[in-house]
Amino acid sequence: MANRVLEYQKKDLPQNMSKLGWALFAIGALAGVAAFYVDNTRAAYNYLIAYMFIMSVGVGSLFLIALEYVAGADWSVPFRRLMEFFAALVPLMFILIIPLLFNLNELFPWMNKKLVEGDAILTGKAPYLNSTFFIIRVFGILLLWTLFFYLFTRNSMNQDSTKDQKFTKRNIIISAIFIPVFAITLTMSSVDWMMSLEPHWFSTIFGVYYFSGTMLAALATLTLAVIFLNEKGYFGKLLIPDHLYSLGALQFVFINFWGYIAFSQYLLIWYADLPEETVWFLHRWSGSWAFVSIFLIIVHFVVPYSILLSQPAKMDAKRLKIASIWILFAHILDLYWLIMPNMNEGKSGGAVFGWIEIAFPVALVGLILVVFNIRARNKNIIPVGDPKIERGLNFRL
Amino acid sequence: MKEKKVYGLTALFDTPDRIIDAVKKISSDGYKKFDVHTPYPLHGMDGAMKLKPSKLGYITLVFGLSGALFALLFMFWAMSIDYPMVIGGKPFFALPAFIPITFELTVLLATLSTVIGMLTFFFSFPSNNHPLIGSDYMRSVSADKFGISIEAEDEKFDDIQIRALFSKLGTIQIEEIYYPDTETFPMFQKKFILFLLVIAILTGGTTYFVLNKLLFMQPFNWMMTQDKLIPQERSEFFSDGFGMRVPVDGTVARGFLPYEFKGEVNPASFLSNPILLTKKSILFGQQKFLTFCSPCHGNFGDGDSRLRGQFPNPPTLHSNRVKEMPDGQIFHIINNGQNIMPSYSSQTTVEERWAIVNYIRVLQRAKNATQSDLEEIKKESAANGK
Amino acid sequence: MNIDYTIEAPVVEGRLTLGDIERLVAAPMESKPDKKFYIALSISGTFLLIGAVLLAMSFYKGVGLWGNNQPVGWGFPIVNFVFWVGIGHAGTLISAILFLLRQKWRTGIARFAEAMTIFAVMCAGVFPIIHTGRPWLAGYLMPYPNQHGLWVNFTSPLVWDVFAVSTYFTVSLVFWYIGLIPDFAVMRDRTTAKIRKTIYSIFSLGWRNSHRNWQHYEKAYMLLAGFATPLVLSVHTIVSFDFAVSIVPGWHTTIFPPYFVAGAIFSGFAMVVTVLIFVRKIFDLEKIITLNHLEKMTKVILATGLMVGYAYGMEFFIAWYSGVQVEQFVFINRAFGPYAWAYWIMVSCNVIIPQLFWIKKIRRSIPAMLVIVILVNVGMWFERFVITVTSLHRDFLPSSWGYYTPTIYDIGILLGSFGLFFTLVILFTKALPVVSISEIKAVAEGAQPNHGGAH
Repeated sequence: MANRVLEYQKKDLPQNMSKLGWALFAIGALAGVAAFYVDNTRAAYNYLIAYMFIMSVGVGSLFLIALEYVAGADWSVPFRRLMEFFAALVPLMFILIIPLLFNLNELFPWMNKKLVEGDAILTGKAPYLNSTFFIIRVFGILLLWTLFFYLFTRNSMNQDSTKDQKFTKRNIIISAIFIPVFAITLTMSSVDWMMSLEPHWFSTIFGVYYFSGTMLAALATLTLAVIFLNEKGYFGKLLIPDHLYSLGALQFVFINFWGYIAFSQYLLIWYADLPEETVWFLHRWSGSWAFVSIFLIIVHFVVPYSILLSQPAKMDAKRLKIASIWILFAHILDLYWLIMPNMNEGKSGGAVFGWIEIAFPVALVGLILVVFNIRARNKNIIPVGDPKIERGLNFRL
Repeated sequence: MKEKKVYGLTALFDTPDRIIDAVKKISSDGYKKFDVHTPYPLHGMDGAMKLKPSKLGYITLVFGLSGALFALLFMFWAMSIDYPMVIGGKPFFALPAFIPITFELTVLLATLSTVIGMLTFFFSFPSNNHPLIGSDYMRSVSADKFGISIEAEDEKFDDIQIRALFSKLGTIQIEEIYYPDTETFPMFQKKFILFLLVIAILTGGTTYFVLNKLLFMQPFNWMMTQDKLIPQERSEFFSDGFGMRVPVDGTVARGFLPYEFKGEVNPASFLSNPILLTKKSILFGQQKFLTFCSPCHGNFGDGDSRLRGQFPNPPTLHSNRVKEMPDGQIFHIINNGQNIMPSYSSQTTVEERWAIVNYIRVLQRAKNATQSDLEEIKKESAANGK
Repeated sequence: MNIDYTIEAPVVEGRLTLGDIERLVAAPMESKPDKKFYIALSISGTFLLIGAVLLAMSFYKGVGLWGNNQPVGWGFPIVNFVFWVGIGHAGTLISAILFLLRQKWRTGIARFAEAMTIFAVMCAGVFPIIHTGRPWLAGYLMPYPNQHGLWVNFTSPLVWDVFAVSTYFTVSLVFWYIGLIPDFAVMRDRTTAKIRKTIYSIFSLGWRNSHRNWQHYEKAYMLLAGFATPLVLSVHTIVSFDFAVSIVPGWHTTIFPPYFVAGAIFSGFAMVVTVLIFVRKIFDLEKIITLNHLEKMTKVILATGLMVGYAYGMEFFIAWYSGVQVEQFVFINRAFGPYAWAYWIMVSCNVIIPQLFWIKKIRRSIPAMLVIVILVNVGMWFERFVITVTSLHRDFLPSSWGYYTPTIYDIGILLGSFGLFFTLVILFTKALPVVSISEIKAVAEGAQPNHGGAH
């Protein structure tokens, strides 16, 4: 068996990737700042979408790392470093959260003391939904995630030079602890940032729903990075389609999972028809939102499902690239569908779409590229010291 | 003896690597009708044999989609065309509620068609009379050896050449396989006919028993015998053996609430008219009044009895005393009776009594109509086009 | 213990040759059943008989013999149904999902788990049908053109159940049989006894290990696994819909579908481990069903146990968060009401005790493992009991509150279902290969060509 790690050589990432990232980020960020001056509420909501997207990619990547360790998977070992790069978005969220903190009043009806006092249900929720506890939670969660990010990457980086197996063992233990922590914190984040936008509404599956989107976003970004770097020969010899197949299959699984969770939530609420639950779907069915809802089913389920259904499609880099970009778009749409209908609650219905809705995703893509580039500078693209790297590179179905 | 027909030549190999090499050589030599037999699927054999990817997926796709389509169309037809019924306030075509069954039928049809398609269409199973089955070669490849067979029908089949090729490739054993003698099965063997007869009697007997006897036995007879009280039947449960029991004191029959103010003089303050004055209720009251009251009180409540002196005539209902009575008191009188008038509570229901009260009020107003009432009637008739 | 992560752990231990594997697996079928076998069979048969007699009495006298009454109309029958369907999920999970995830360790346990799936679904199928009171009229559940001109209510989750469970049973059976065909061929070629040879020949359908067949076979196996995976999720999802589409507080909550599925995998794996611990010991299969496999299964149990715990927590949190009074009452009543004992059995067996699996020593100790998985089974039975009974016994109308107590008939029929299950399992171990011979051969050391070549 040829030693494939030896074939790998460290290379700098292409310059234009970094430039493109900065350019997109600059354009998007400028437009975003402008948006806050033009329409503060709308910009805040859009910013929240972007923030949740960053969370999806960042924490989702962290979870994928943990999953790889816990499951003992070897096929994904060559890509783990890429996930670590994307997970660097997590500490960045400490900065990204600032504009949101200034706009909590715009976003959350439960911040309005008068409204809460006049509403028995909201008063009942006040021990959880209040600004102090909210901020404690949000920062506590960010701290936890950053801690795990730090531990994972430190061990993984140390292993590059030392090739010591004890780091793998340590990371397995950290992963096992991280997974339950992740489940609770991600659920809390989804409840805090998205469910409480409509403070009367509740759904026990909501955390799982956001989790399915998180996985898709993290997987799609990872797949894009893998395909792009593979084409440019960053993995030494070219990866065989079996690696791509595994990525494609996982995407396919989570598309189905998303459909399953979304359908379960809808069916149960539709069937029982209780007013305190249906209100959320009614807001997403009033005026032009109905079209967005139907569009979401097509964009988030029907289309990617059809693209990835056949076995050759999951192995084909080109189709996988299209699917990944599509899924990222679908995740943004999903977040838009989750967050935006609450902006005009009680006022004029209907979906809004304009330059503000485009500005933030542009900045977002730029930011992810920039972070990836900065993290990847002077580092190995594959974890050369991992004991499973050889098996990972030679992986066959 | 008849000469046996050759099926082909087989060769055994003992490691997976060797058979892969051998197969590569054989397929590149241009043999077409050859096959590889291994106790489990070997990785990389598809490529070595130059096999095209399996087309099985198409069967799955077609049948899966038709399962979905069939399920949806059928439920649409059954629930919204053939027997439309509102269930739980949902539309007739309640798509979300149809998804589970659609999904199940898709899976069912897809899997069954895949398996049946594979076994029959791709494998031509069952094929227990295949020449290879029963050979030593088959026993070896079933256990732990790897074998190649080349059929005699192959264009390039040449016994000597193939033997040479096999030995060159490192075979451990070569075996010649022959077609088995064709077996014949006479149709009318005694045993077979007896077997058919037994089956016929068994199925016939069972069917008769089930349809004519079993269905009328306990518990299949719709639970006809049950440990419950049946009115006017004997009961084993009570010591006196009577199934019919005297109700407990104070028992009230459903819908027969006794009149609370029986014998009292004027409970009108406790009674209020629950019936709205509508055209419908007035007409209803009229009907009941004409049936029960008019024989003595007269058709218009004037006290002009039609009984020709068999009973003394009651007083008119248009006196000031009656006009000033509250509704409750009239109701009470109908219930309780007054002077010579008996109670009408057994002939009329509560609702009917109140309707009669309402009608009496109408009669009283009609007898003492004011000018404004007349104008109102005129207006109404004009509006009705009369 | 230090693990070398550079090497893949072998699936089969002890460097067995292909012939050894075949001999080991085929041994129970080729030897005469011994005394232990008959003792085990008679014990499980006794339970089966007890159940059968009590069931017959229930039909003769009527289902009033059971504890089911207002307000708890869904007593033991539904609890047992959900319990057995849940057990039946592990098999397909192991054979299909782990197959798609390329987990080679599944080969040693897949066949057995699949068989358990089929038996468990058989046990499960009994309960909703007897719960109707007149099981001989169960045919009415199928949509067929009839004189009344009526159709079944396709929007009813109970009808979805009929479709889901029967589809699941059919597909599992087919999946199982497809896996068995090459093994029947192996047995056909091994045995010399005439009758057995005939039987094996018939079931092997004339399989001749041809690679032209293997190619389609592998594709079909993959397609079936691809369909069985969503199917297995759908079955328990639909079972959860039975509860969750209603408006009964404690039943109507959106997390039910994934929560039920996680619970099903949890209980199913626990049952598989319970039985496998005995099977590997009795039939000398310790090298094929290795301790590593069992350890991996305990990890799955731990993971799914955490998922179930997450669902418990989420239900409680959202019940408080929702601000709906009845919802809050139901959950407080669950934990501190008259059925608090059942609730705490459930929580301790399902969430607290499996946490012991965090410790590696316990994961690798057979006795400890056995105790924990049996407790998990108990806990999962009580989970269904808690969901079904506590939600019903005190709903919106305090005037119709009540306390459900099962009768001896309920308990006897539950025991009978265990009797049925274990009787079938015991018969299976002697009648069919408990491990897939061809699959385990394929993952033995040196079974695959070294230089591989392109796909």
